[in-house]
Amino acid sequence: MKNLRFHYHMEISFSEPVHSHIYTLKCLPVTTGTQLIQECNYAVRPTDRIQESYDSFGNRMLYGTAEEEHTLFQVDVTGRAVTGICDADAPGEKTDISVYKYQTVLTKPQGRIGKLLADCRKQEGSMQLSLDEKARFYMQTVHERLEYGKGITTIHTTAEEALALGRGVCQDYAHVMLSLCREDRIPARYVVGMLMGEGESHAWVEIYDGMTWRGYDPTNDLVVNDSYIKISHGRDYSDCSINRGVFTGQAKQCQSILAEVSEE
Amino acid sequence: MKDFELTRQSETVNELLARYGVKFGIYKNHEFKEQLFPFDTIPRVIEKEEFAYLEKGLKQRVMALNCFIRDIYGEKKIIKDKVVPEEFVYISSGYLAACDGVVPPKGIYTHIAGIDLVQGKNKEWYVLEDNLRVPSGASYPMIAREICRRSSPDTFESNCIEDNRYYTKLLRWMMDYVNTGGHTVILTPGRYNAAYFEHSYFAEKTGAHLATGSELTVENDYLYFVDYSGKKEKVGAVYRRISDEYLDPMTFNEESVIGIPNIYDVYRKGHVALINAPGNGVADDKGIYYFVPKMISYYLGEDAILQNAPTYLPFYEEDRKYVLEHFDELVLKDVAEAGGYGVVFANKMTAQEKEDFLNLLKKEPRRFIAQEVIDFMDIDILEDGVRKPRKADLRAFVLMADEPMVWKSGLTRFSRNPDSFIVNSSQGGGFKDTWVLSR
Repeated sequence: MKNLRFHYHMEISFSEPVHSHIYTLKCLPVTTGTQLIQECNYAVRPTDRIQESYDSFGNRMLYGTAEEEHTLFQVDVTGRAVTGICDADAPGEKTDISVYKYQTVLTKPQGRIGKLLADCRKQEGSMQLSLDEKARFYMQTVHERLEYGKGITTIHTTAEEALALGRGVCQDYAHVMLSLCREDRIPARYVVGMLMGEGESHAWVEIYDGMTWRGYDPTNDLVVNDSYIKISHGRDYSDCSINRGVFTGQAKQCQSILAEVSEE
Repeated sequence: MKDFELTRQSETVNELLARYGVKFGIYKNHEFKEQLFPFDTIPRVIEKEEFAYLEKGLKQRVMALNCFIRDIYGEKKIIKDKVVPEEFVYISSGYLAACDGVVPPKGIYTHIAGIDLVQGKNKEWYVLEDNLRVPSGASYPMIAREICRRSSPDTFESNCIEDNRYYTKLLRWMMDYVNTGGHTVILTPGRYNAAYFEHSYFAEKTGAHLATGSELTVENDYLYFVDYSGKKEKVGAVYRRISDEYLDPMTFNEESVIGIPNIYDVYRKGHVALINAPGNGVADDKGIYYFVPKMISYYLGEDAILQNAPTYLPFYEEDRKYVLEHFDELVLKDVAEAGGYGVVFANKMTAQEKEDFLNLLKKEPRRFIAQEVIDFMDIDILEDGVRKPRKADLRAFVLMADEPMVWKSGLTRFSRNPDSFIVNSSQGGGFKDTWVLSR
C-alpha cells in the first residue's frame, strides 16, 4: 500500500490561434477495488464552460468549450491516492464483463496473433497454468516479441500491425496482449494510467479472473502493483482517449503530457 | 382491377414528382448522382381485414424489438437466459458500448421502424428485414398520393382508401411525446444526402426546424438551436437523419463533421430525445433478425403473428449443415451490408464464386445468414402502357409513442428488372402507392 501524490499535465499548443474549441477529456482517476482517490482537483485553461459525466465504461469525463481564440490549451489534474488496497466491493465497478471478451478493430487478430497464440500453447504444453500464470506468460511473451520504440506506430496501429513491426509503445504492447487474451477467451480490457516517477501517461491490460480485474503491464513485464494509478479503461485505446477535440482554425497541434507521481 | 383514370396519368404524375424534387441521391465511384425515383401509378391494394392483421403483427414485433434493445443496454436478461447468444449482440456493428446503461426519454428506442415485408404466392406475409436505424421512405408515397389526388380526384372519391396524410401528425405526436422540453429539430446532413427530399418534406409538414449539425450547439448540458441572428433556443427532441457513428465526434467517429460535439452527453443526461435512439441498430442486424420470433415469446409471452422468411444461421452446426446441403436453393446475406448490397442468390453463382463463398462461410459463419427464396407474389406495373408483373415488397412504418402506431399506408418498392428480386431504390427500383382500404 502506498500513499501517492499525483500531478497530471496535458497541453496542446496550436501553431495558429484556434477558437470554438470543444473538448472531451478522460483524465480523472476514479476509486476502484485497488485504489482510493482521496483528493482530485482539475483545472482546464482556457474554458468557458465545463461539465462532468461518466461514460458507459465507468470513466469520469470532463467536457466543455473554449470559445475565445487561444494557442495553448492546458489541463492539470492533481490529487492524492492510496494504491495497492484490496476491496472487492469497490463502488462504481460494473459487473458486466461480456463487452471485454470480444476483439475490436484495433485488437482483431489475423495470422500473426493466431500464430503467436499457437506458439504460446505449444510452450504451455500440458502444464496446467492458472489464469494468473497464463496472463503473466502472455505478458512476458508480448514483452519479448516487441521492442520499445517511439514514432513507429500511431494511434491507429492495430495489434496485428504492431506485432508485424515488432516495435511500438505501451499502447501497442497492450493491444497485442489484449488480442492474445481475447483469442484465448479471457476477458481483457485496456487501461490508461500513471506510473510512479515522471513521464507520459501509460497503458496496460487488465484481465478478469472470474472475481476481479487484475492488472498486467506488458511494456515493463510487471504485474501491476501499488506504483500504478489507473485513470480509465475500455475495450481498446479508442475508448480511453485522454483528449478528443474539435476546433475552428487552421493550425497544427502538438500534444504533450507530463505525469508526476510520488510518495507522500 | 380495372383500368382507371389514374393509370392514364403516369407521365404527368412522374413529371410533377420530378418537379417537386422527389429524388434520391447515390454515391457511386465517389460521385454523387441524383436520380428520380420512378413512380408507378398502379397502387398496391391491401384489404381492410388483411391490413388489420398486418397491423397487429407489426405492433407486436416492434414492441418486442423495443424490449430487446432496452434489455441489451440494461439488464441483458435475454442473454443470461441464453435465448440470444452473447456473441451475436457484441459483434454486431449496431451494438454500441457507449449506449450501455443509458436510458432514452420514455424508454423508447424504436421511434420509427420501417419493417420490410413481402407477400408470398401463398398469400402469406413474411418479414424480410427490420429497419430501425434511420429508416426512410414514408415521404414518397405521401407526396405521390398528393399528386395523384390532384391528377385524378375521382379515383379517390370512388374508392374507399385510408387517407395517408396523417403520417406527419403521428410523427409530430411521437416527437412531442418524447420531447424533454424545447424545440423539435430534424437534423439533416444536408442536401447531398440520399433522402434530403424527405428531410425537408417532414420538416415542412410537422413544423419542426430543419437543421444541419453546425446550427446546433451544446452548452451546459443542454442542446440549443442557433438561429440566423445568433439567438439560442433550447432543443428537446432531435429527429436525426444521420447515422449513429456520425452523430457525435466526441463519442463516436472522431472524423465526423456533420454531427454535434457532445450531443451524446446531453442525451446521456436525459436532456434531449434522439429519434431514433443511438445503438438501436443492434436489433436490426441481419443476424439478430433470426431471433425476433423468439424475442416476441420471451418478452411478450405471445406467438409471433408475422413470420420471418425461413432463415438459417450457419453459426449453428445444424443450420450450417442444412445450408451446405441446400446451398443452391438459398439466398445469402452478409449481415454487415445494407441497401440490397451483399445479397447473393446461390443459384446465380459461378462454380468459382461458389467455392470462394463456401470457404468464406466456413471461416466466418457469423457473418452470413441464409434464407429460403420466397416466391413473391407479383404485382403489375405499367411499362410503356402495358401491364407487366414484377417483384415488390412493402415497407410498413411503425411509430412508437405511448404505444406503437402503424401507418395505414407504406412504401411499396418494385424491381424494374423482371429477373430480379431486389427492390432497393439504390439498385434502380421504383415505387408505388399503397392503398389500405377503409371498408
